[in-house]
Order: sequence, then structure tokens, then C-alpha cells
Amino acid sequence: MSYDRPHRGGGGHRRRNNREDYEDRRREVETPEERLKAAIIKLGEVDVLEEIPRVESQIRSFVPQNVTLLSEAFRLSVTEQPYKIPFYAALLRRLHDSPEGDPPIGRQILEDFWKGFQAFLDRQAWRETRLCIQFFAHCTMARLISPDSMIALLQSFTAVLDEFGVSHGRAKRAALCAGEGLMIGGPVLKSTAPSAASEIINAIQMFSDSTSSSKWVVQPVTKLAQETGLLENADELLDSLIAALQLLDASDFAQSADSFPQPYATYPELTPGAEPFSFPMVLVPPEVIELEGFSTDAGEDAQVKREEWPEYLLRLFDNDVSPNPNTPQGYAIRTALIDIIDIFDVNRKECARLLLEYPKWSLPGTFKPKPGITAELEPVPEKDWQLESTIIETLIGVYHRLPEPSQKPVYYMTLITELCKLSPSTIGPAVGKSIRKLYTALGDGLDVEVSRHFAEWFAVHMSNFGFQWVWREWVPDLALATQHPRRCFMRRAVEFEMRLAYHDRILKTLPEAMQSADAHVIAEQPSRPNFEYDDPTRPYHDAAQSVLNLFRGRAKAEDLISHLDTLRSSLEGAEDEHINVDSIVRSITMQSLLHIGSRSFSHLLNAIERYLPLLRNVASGGTSGSNEAKSDILGAVAIFWKYNRQMVGIVFDKLMQYQIVDPTDVVGWTFATGTGLGEAPHAMSLTALEWDLIKAALDKANGRVVTSRKKVTTLRKEDDDTRARAKANEANPMEVDPEGRPDEAQVENPALTVALKAYTSLTREQKAALARTLDGFISCLVPGAAVHNPHSKTVISEHAWQNRANWGSEEWNAWETWGWYKHFCRMYSPYLRNYSNTLWAVSFSKFEGSTDPAVILLKRIWNTATGQEG
Amino acid sequence: MAHVVLSLDQPSNYKDSQSRVDRNKQFDLLQQSTTLYIGNLSFYTTEEQIYELFAKCASPEDGGGIKRIIMGLDRNTRTPCGFCFVEFYTNAEALATMRYISGTKLDERIIRCDLDLGYKEGRQFGRGKSGGQVRDEHRQDYDAGRGGWGAQAQRLEIERRREVEERYADAQDGPGAVAGGGGDWKEMEIPSQEGKLKRGRSPDDDGDNTRLGPRSRMEDMDGERM
Repeated sequence: MSYDRPHRGGGGHRRRNNREDYEDRRREVETPEERLKAAIIKLGEVDVLEEIPRVESQIRSFVPQNVTLLSEAFRLSVTEQPYKIPFYAALLRRLHDSPEGDPPIGRQILEDFWKGFQAFLDRQAWRETRLCIQFFAHCTMARLISPDSMIALLQSFTAVLDEFGVSHGRAKRAALCAGEGLMIGGPVLKSTAPSAASEIINAIQMFSDSTSSSKWVVQPVTKLAQETGLLENADELLDSLIAALQLLDASDFAQSADSFPQPYATYPELTPGAEPFSFPMVLVPPEVIELEGFSTDAGEDAQVKREEWPEYLLRLFDNDVSPNPNTPQGYAIRTALIDIIDIFDVNRKECARLLLEYPKWSLPGTFKPKPGITAELEPVPEKDWQLESTIIETLIGVYHRLPEPSQKPVYYMTLITELCKLSPSTIGPAVGKSIRKLYTALGDGLDVEVSRHFAEWFAVHMSNFGFQWVWREWVPDLALATQHPRRCFMRRAVEFEMRLAYHDRILKTLPEAMQSADAHVIAEQPSRPNFEYDDPTRPYHDAAQSVLNLFRGRAKAEDLISHLDTLRSSLEGAEDEHINVDSIVRSITMQSLLHIGSRSFSHLLNAIERYLPLLRNVASGGTSGSNEAKSDILGAVAIFWKYNRQMVGIVFDKLMQYQIVDPTDVVGWTFATGTGLGEAPHAMSLTALEWDLIKAALDKANGRVVTSRKKVTTLRKEDDDTRARAKANEANPMEVDPEGRPDEAQVENPALTVALKAYTSLTREQKAALARTLDGFISCLVPGAAVHNPHSKTVISEHAWQNRANWGSEEWNAWETWGWYKHFCRMYSPYLRNYSNTLWAVSFSKFEGSTDPAVILLKRIWNTATGQEG
Repeated sequence: MAHVVLSLDQPSNYKDSQSRVDRNKQFDLLQQSTTLYIGNLSFYTTEEQIYELFAKCASPEDGGGIKRIIMGLDRNTRTPCGFCFVEFYTNAEALATMRYISGTKLDERIIRCDLDLGYKEGRQFGRGKSGGQVRDEHRQDYDAGRGGWGAQAQRLEIERRREVEERYADAQDGPGAVAGGGGDWKEMEIPSQEGKLKRGRSPDDDGDNTRLGPRSRMEDMDGERM
């Protein structure tokens, strides 16, 4: 997996030594134990059914017998290669045969495997737990595990659903464990205990029904007017599980055999009289609560737990192209693919290969044979799906999960790239079809964050494949309103492509109709700085030149500061009182500084670092106050980089990093003035561009709290250790109290005091940034506020939505602003929850009793996201 | 998770021949590295293009982000010579880059990432005899993105080239030539009013006064730059 480095050859003996060192490191001696373990893990490289007896005899002939080793190999195999689970159950079944009447080795492995399962459960390693349950369910089908104890196991997971105040994440995972175990083991389990199956299904159903309002917040298709209702093009994970289970239950699980391979089904009966394994009773351990919470001065604990939401997956294709996830077969396939995607994130290339090899592990006839290969089997009716479309649909689904996917978005993007590289002729068309389906959904309510993600993926994908896209087919949509989601998409996709490439490169991929300026698809010129004072006829040209020349001559910061003082007084003397001299001087200074830093990101950093004292001086605001000064600074950046929005984001980020402005300043500025910069022509509204700036500011504020929290925790621990050691030295070491006595803890480490103070400041700033964002949205969306969008109220009714074909840009802007508000609430809900009482009191209490539909919707979204209802 | 497959986030077997750090220490540094060496760049690729792609591995919500980018330059001509360093604030971000970005395209070339010991002064310059990278000394093929064989490049590239050639003409070497990118958040004293500046700071200073504050062990890597 290593790449060849450029430094081959030359360099003589030193390099040779390196290579020897390297090979020493890699030349691991493989013991017979390791070889056996590898053989088990690699089961099925060529033909799994043939290899099972071979691996069986390898295990049997291995002396001395090593149960721990074997069960570990099984555990790794089951939890890291779930697509092979049925075949490991078959292997274990064969290892239960014991002609001599000795305790079969298979049984010993199973007993040891169980201990490993309990360890997963205690660690709350949910994925491993769930996959072990799948394995146990297959073992139950193979008669290795007693059905009664399997039912009891599944019931201990449904018991979680009844816990008081159970979190969504915990309940969802427990439901998946119970439901999937039942799906696989159903035929045996239902015949053993006929009512158990429906009890499990009902328990999951009851839980799912209780989550309908949170479902509404994370649906990938926005329905502002309705609360419930099924979506045509997306399915929620638990809903799919329930639907599949109900179908199975109705047929007494006859379809199980049609959904999961059962390679053990053809094996002869187990030795008569052999008792199947019975699990001991288990309890799912309670949720881990971090004990070391610490509060800020305001008594609000800023600790954040990632919020869990219902999981919607977009559906792109028809049931004859990709399996319907609401059927047992479809559910099984989609979950198997998602598991592969989640497990193999460490190696996207292997992941791509495994996804394309998936048919090997599924029932014959599930997927269409590869093109060019004559089918040996008759296609199975109602199956015969397209593998590539199924994979891409699943990937698009998990990538677009809201509020955010479980892995970094870029993982899904480059995984699709790898798939295309492995099988361009089959994956390529599936990707193309998916892009067209998603594009078509734009304007029919596709969530704003989904659209933004879509544009980002589109650009990265095209960047890997020569920017080849048939833009021509979207030319007719240029007739839509400029702010129609499809046109926004085109614009954003092109902008993201240009950031990865350059203007001329992208321009030439577009058809003529899209190249002109009035098509609003691509910028007229390459991105460039916009130094306002460049033009000699502009006011303040000379003043700006004098400042710029000082920067160019690398004048000292203090010399610049005194020059600016002189400049200020001369401007004040010369001009009438209507102009804000402070603002002009700030704008000149910032633009000149950005000018000398405009050649590259590094030049920017050098310019900022060289003039930090100057920047701090400007930001302090002098007589007019620092809020105005910071707003002027940000405004100057936006003007200077008017033609390069990427740079606006980069400069803002670094200005926050160097603490020239705070995240709250960025949020406030963006809501107040950001519209001039963005795509929205007028009226208060928010497009993806402004949202990106706000998100970056919020993430900065939150990230600082995370970092400072870590620092406090580390220092505390060091402190505790030091104290414990000191005590251990003075007293009897056996009586050390690890808690430490509070009175002795009074003498605090000065570093800890500093860290705690920083933590308090940073949580205050975090809260301020969140509050400013909430206020910003409210002033955009609530009629009656000074600067609201006139359409914020009209676009939210069902009637208006049905009439969207007649919407103009302002309606779409209002709709998009609602979308970003909703996304803000669900994305930052873990943070918002911490401050929900204060934020509510400050921002919402003034609307007490209001019947305005916009106010009602604002509150409803807020309440749902922060868990105040439902 | 990686019992079944190799993880892509392992450092390669490259050893910095000019590093004076012993192998165990190098190993430790790589384990917590926040810096990546990026190779096989086009000579025309800008820092902003690099920023755009690598920002996709940034985790600002965990206190991360792109700290700085150091463009690799030809020692003699001060023009980009096809490599750079990208420094993040956290190790997790560097690992994400190895997993998700190494081996994908930027500016239509497959780029290669490797965990790095951390930028040290002077490393921004190519080490080849001609001033560029060593690999370009031995390259036999025509590569338009890396200067072709000679001066002949595609017409479209000529305009970009002129910009590129001028961009780093002012590149300095020596201490403080390369910006730090900004350190951890630090409590600020009330911003001083006009004129009340701390004296004794040369403008050539690293400029990042947060560096004077207490820093965690993880981020001490810059400390060794001198």
C-alpha cells in the first residue's frame, strides 16, 4: 500500500539502509496461529461453499486446540465482514459435528464468542453488537442456539425502547438489533413462540410512532406546511425495518430464506440429543453518562452529545432497478451495503472492490449478471436488480443523511470516485442517472442542505473525471427564476468546480447558452481581487496609495498606525461631516492589507501576521466602538474579494483565528449586510453562500469550546495525578483516596485557572454566536421585524407551495431561508439544547400568544429540534 | 476496523534524509502529525485550489481547520515545483486526508499525500540539482503540468504560467519567512487604544503572539522549527 517516493536512486548507502530497515519492519514472522486465523478471516476468497469444509478441516487438524484464537477469528470475521455472516454460521455448524462424542469444538467456540459479545455490549459497541446478533440469529436457524434464549436476547433489546427518557440513538440501535435478529431467525423463532414476533414488531412500531415530529425535521424533502405524511422518494430506516418485518410476519417468515443466504440449511440434522447453546440472561447496560461534566459560571454545561435523529435515505430508482428497502430483500441488501460502507472507511479502494463483489455473498439471481457474462441462471422474478444503481443509490442515501452523514462527506465522494475507476462502464451510467434524478428533485422540495451537498459532490466528482458533464440538457431550465433551486444548483456547482480548477477550464465545458453573463451560471471573468481604490478617479485613491505603499515597503505596524492617525485628521479636516472617516480609513487599511496578501493564501497569512498589532488597533474601533470597526473590517473583505467568494470565507476564518474578529461578529455581519454579497438580490434572506459563512463562524466558536474543554480535562487529570502521587508518598499507599479531598484541592494549578477562565469566555462566545444566529433568522422570517423578507409568510402555506411554478426569485429566497433556519436548528441542536431556556426567553418570548403562521412555524421547528416536544 | 484490510492512513516508508531526528522519534512525530506532504501537483495549481480540496477534511467543529499551506518552490527560480505542505490543527484531519484525498485528482492530476514530520525552515525549497524536486531530474516523459520537457507548454497554460511565475518572486527564506497560520485561542487583554503598542516587536517576527502562551504538547511541533 505504500507509494513509490520520488527519491529513488542516488544517495548511496544510506538509502539502502533505509530500505533494509523498512523490510525488517514488514517482514513479520507469521506463526501457525496467525496463519490459521488468516485462513478463517479470508474464508470465501474464491468459492465460499467449497472452502467451508476446507477451513473446517484446517481448524480440526490444528494442534494444540486454541479456542480463544478461533473465537477471536470468528469475532473479527463477523464484525468486520458482515456480508459473510451466514457462511461463518455454516462453518460453525460443521464444527459442531463430533463423531467421537467429545464436546464439539464448535460449541466451545460459540461459548467463547458469547463472552466477546458481552464485552461489545458492555462497551456499547452497537455495530458489533448488532452484527453478533445477526450471527446468533443464523446460528439459531442452524439449530446451534436455543430459540427460547434467542427470543429472550431480542427481548432484552426491545426492553430498551421502554426505558424512561431513552435517547433516540440508543433506542434506534436497540430496535435494529432486535428487528434484524428477528428477520433472520424468524422462521424458527416464530414457530417456537408465535406471539414473540409480533410483540417485538409492535414494540419497535410504538417507538417509531413516537418520533414523528423529529422525522419531519430531518426529512430530505422539505414540507413546510405538513407535519406528517410519507415521502415518495425517501424512506426512514426504522420505518423500513418495520415494513419489512410486517411482510415477513404475515407469511410466517417464509421470505426469510429468500432474503438471507442459509448455506447451513442443506446440512444434515445435528447429532441427535445435542443440546443447543442457551444464552445466559442479559441486560443491555444503561447509557454511559460522562461523569465529569463541568459547568460554566452561568450553570450551563457546554458538553455536547451528538444528537441522533431518524435516518432518512433518499430513494432514486424504481423497484425493478434497485430493491425496495421496505421489503425483507431490499432491507437486507441495503443494510449490508451500508455496513460495508461504514466499516471500510479506512480504505476506500478496498471498500469499492467489496461493494462491487457484494453479489458473491447474496442469493443467486439477486442482481443482473455482469454485462458480457452469459447468465447461467434464469433471472429470479421480482429480483434481478442492477448492482451499480443499488450501490450508488445507497451511497447517495447515506451521503445525504440529515443533519449530517455519519462519516466525513468527502469519504462518500471519493468512494464513488473509486467505484467509477474500478468499473467505469457500469458505475459511470449509474452515477449519471443519479445526478439527473437528484437534479430533477430540485425545486420539488429537496432540502437546502441536500442541494448544497449535492453541488459539492458534483464538483468533486467532475474534478476527478475531466469535468465532463452534459450541461446542454439543463439549458431549458435557464428560463426558471434566477433563484430557483435548479439554477442555484447550476451556479453553485460551477463555482465549486472553478475553485477546484480555474475559470477558463470550466467555462469551456459549458454550452454557449450558459457562458453569457445574463445566464447567471458562471462569472464573467476569472476570480480576482477588487481593490476599490485602484482607479485614480475614485475618491481616496491617493490616500489609499499612501497606505498601500507603506505596506509594500514593509513599514512597521506602529508607523502605519501613526500614518493612519494623520490620514484620519486630514480627511476629517477636508470633508464635510456626512462621511464616516473612521469607516473609510478602515476600509482603505483593510483593502490595502488584503492587496499585499492577495497573491496566495500564504501571502495573506504573512500579511496578517506581520500586521497583527495594526489589525488589533483597527478592530478596537477607537471612538466609534469595536462593533462598528469589526463590521467595517468584514465589509472591506467582502468588497475586496467580491469576485472570489472562496477567499471571503478564507479571510474570515483567519481573522477569527487571529482573534481580530469573533464568530459573533461574523454572524452578525452576515445577517446584516451579507445579502449584498450573495446571490440574493435584495430582501432579507439567506442563500447557501451566507449559510457557509455563518456555519464556519459557529463551527469556530464550537470548536474552540471543544479544544478548551479538552485542555481543562487534561490539566485536571494531571493535577489529580500529582495530588494522588503526593498523598501516596506521605501516607500509607493503600489508603489513597482517588477522589481527593475537596479542601486540599483549593490550591489550584495556575495553568488550570487560566484554562478554566478561557473555557468560560469561550462558552460565553459560543452562546452569543448561537443567539445572534437565531436572532438573525427571526428578523429575516418574522413579518413586522424591521427587515424581514416580504415572502417569508406567504411561502409556507400548502397552497403557495402548490403554486410554486409561478414563484419568482424572492419567493424562492424566502423558501431557502426557511430551509437554512430548519437546518440551523437541527444541525446545532445539541448546542442549542444547552442554552434553550435563555435563547427562548430572549428570542421567542416576545411572540407570546402570536397566531402569525410564520411565528408558529418558527417555534415549531425550534421546539422540535431542541426536544421541547415530541 | 482494520483487521481485514490495510488502512490508507499509514505513513509511507519515506524518510526525510535531512532530518536529524532518530527513527523512533520520527515514528512518534508521525503518529501525531498534523502536516502532510503533497506530491505530484501541477506547477500551476494554486494554494486556493489546494485549500478548497483539503478543507473537505477539516473539522472546525472539533477545533481543527487548515492552519497553513506551504508551497514547494524551486530553489533558484522561486516558482512552484510540484509539491507542498498542508498543515492542519489536528491529527485526525491529517489522517482523513490520507484516507479520503490521497490518490484522487486535483487540477486533473492524481496527487499523493504522506504524513510528514512537520515543516522545518528551508523545506519549502526543492532539493533537486536544478532547484526543483529530485523526481523531476529523472523524469523521462512529457508532462505539461510540470513544465513539459522544456519551455513548451500548452497554450492555455501560458497565461496561468505567467501569473504563477510572478506569484512567489518575493518568497523569502530564513526564520519567520513562512507564516504560522494562527495558534490556539487565547484570552486577550482589552484591546489597546490607539498608539499604545507593544514595542520591541520586529515586523519580521513570527507575529503570532499566541505562540508565547501556554500550548499543549500536541501543537509543539512548530517549536522545533528553529
